[in-house]
Amino acid sequence: MTATYRAYMRPFIRLFTGRLREAPAVLRRGPLRTDAFSSRLHDPRVASLLGMWLGVAFGVCFLTGLVSHAMQHPPSWLVWPSRPVSLYRLTQGLHVTTGLACVPLLLAKLWTVYPRLWEWPPVRSVAHALERLSIVPLVAGAVFQLATGIANIAQWYRFRFFFTVTHYWVAWITIGALGVHIAAKLAVVRANVGRRRGERSRLTDRVSAPEQPGGGLSRRGLAVAVASAAGVIVTTTAGQWVPGLSGLDLLAPRRPDIGPQRLPVNRTAAAARVTAVARAAGYRLEVVGPRPFALTLAGLRGFPQHTSRLPITCVEGWAADATWHGLRLRDLLDAAGIPAEATVRVESLEAGGAYRTSEVNPAHARDPLTLLATGLNGADLDIDHGYPARLIAPNRPGVLQTKWVHRVVML
Amino acid sequence: MNGQAQADQADRRDHNGRHRAVRAVTTAVLRGGPAAAGLAAIGYGVHGLVGMRSATNPPNAAQWLVGGILVHDLLVVPVTMAVGLVLTRLVPAPFRAVLQGALLISGAVALASLPLWRGYGGPADNPSVNPLPYGRNLAIVLGLVWACATAVIAVRAVRAVRVRRARRSHASACGPPAG
Repeated sequence: MTATYRAYMRPFIRLFTGRLREAPAVLRRGPLRTDAFSSRLHDPRVASLLGMWLGVAFGVCFLTGLVSHAMQHPPSWLVWPSRPVSLYRLTQGLHVTTGLACVPLLLAKLWTVYPRLWEWPPVRSVAHALERLSIVPLVAGAVFQLATGIANIAQWYRFRFFFTVTHYWVAWITIGALGVHIAAKLAVVRANVGRRRGERSRLTDRVSAPEQPGGGLSRRGLAVAVASAAGVIVTTTAGQWVPGLSGLDLLAPRRPDIGPQRLPVNRTAAAARVTAVARAAGYRLEVVGPRPFALTLAGLRGFPQHTSRLPITCVEGWAADATWHGLRLRDLLDAAGIPAEATVRVESLEAGGAYRTSEVNPAHARDPLTLLATGLNGADLDIDHGYPARLIAPNRPGVLQTKWVHRVVML
Repeated sequence: MNGQAQADQADRRDHNGRHRAVRAVTTAVLRGGPAAAGLAAIGYGVHGLVGMRSATNPPNAAQWLVGGILVHDLLVVPVTMAVGLVLTRLVPAPFRAVLQGALLISGAVALASLPLWRGYGGPADNPSVNPLPYGRNLAIVLGLVWACATAVIAVRAVRAVRVRRARRSHASACGPPAG
């Protein structure tokens, strides 16, 4: 059966793997020469090991990115829990920190395989051409994701596309190209990694040669340097979300204790154009449900007050703990006769914008920690933190902790 | 060859054939699975990118995607090579590796925080975005990196001197007998 199958498949296999006519040797100049790249770091074993680390790091970025995406655009089957309180702080902190640590990993990995860009002959077969072609979305996507991510956390917008949407779709392209790449390079990795790699060396013609003596960086030296670079980057940036490390936060775009009332702000009242309307004397908080009612500023203070210690966890990867006080959201909902299984929408005084309103599912709306906060760290809310009232709930991205709230509506 | 031996051989051939077929199928699944899933994911990503053009601005996104490859392949790598070449000419062997390592770390750290120490980005009305003195902080971090590199170079230099001395005294002790 195998024989007939093989006979049947042979033309297809030949179509893909049959050797194409070689390009004329006269074109083989410059970087296309055999000895054009002399660094002993251009080596399949180093490339495989770096590739494995990079694969794990990209996997972490992709999965944590999916979590963040699902939280902001929840599919109907997903109910995001309100506990553990700091789950999103962990996933999004990991997303940004891992991405930053990928900078030295990616550069080193690309260095080890750079001569392959100039390999001769440029194309050996159709299969070879397809495999080389799959590198284009991989490298383009990887560089794009790191570059746009670094620019976005610094709020540096030189590109003319919307960051979150584009970063999300390019993530799919990149992870897909990584899957194709892993399939294409599995044999090379197996022949170059693992204690029994010697037995698998016949899987490919790309087998690591013994390291030549030399005065420059050795393969082990490269590993030490790349790990150190990643270590320095993580150490000097993770303090923007890891409790207790903010003293080491030297090169991150945020410091958890810098901002009005010692808390960072993502969108100011001026940027949201709500300064005047938020300070207006006629402010009312409307709660719309079976028994709708409205509260003045004095009415807000008349409600039972509670305190919650909750972090603001931003999509940009920073997180800062704070002590909030104000009304429990569930007390407000009960007063309006809104049933426990209802989802509510919280609306800001902002006139427009992607984050003017947010939906609060029952898990978050009924959590005793969830507040409509009127105070922060022992004082009234600063206007930039959402005066007169803002939502603060556990395990939820900062962009969904709606500020300058004036309406709570049952859906 | 008798009939029994022939049957044995046929059996073995059959077994080998089956073994090879199983391995071929396993390989096909191991490689074909990720490849097919990968192609599907690429298709999904491209479809989304092109489908939401008001947000993704495909021509601009494509410029940045292609630009990333070009900047890396035609700028970053050649510049790194040129630096390597200069180092090969100027710095002797046991110290060059340390210098290369320290340069790699410095470059990566500077690149990962580029907008911050260059002062790019951050709205003017929000002092909590990019609030730190990043130029000074980068100098502190890289200062520590280069202090470590200097220490490693010093250790290597001392070791090299010791080895040379030991060799010389060894050579004089075991030198050719006089006379």
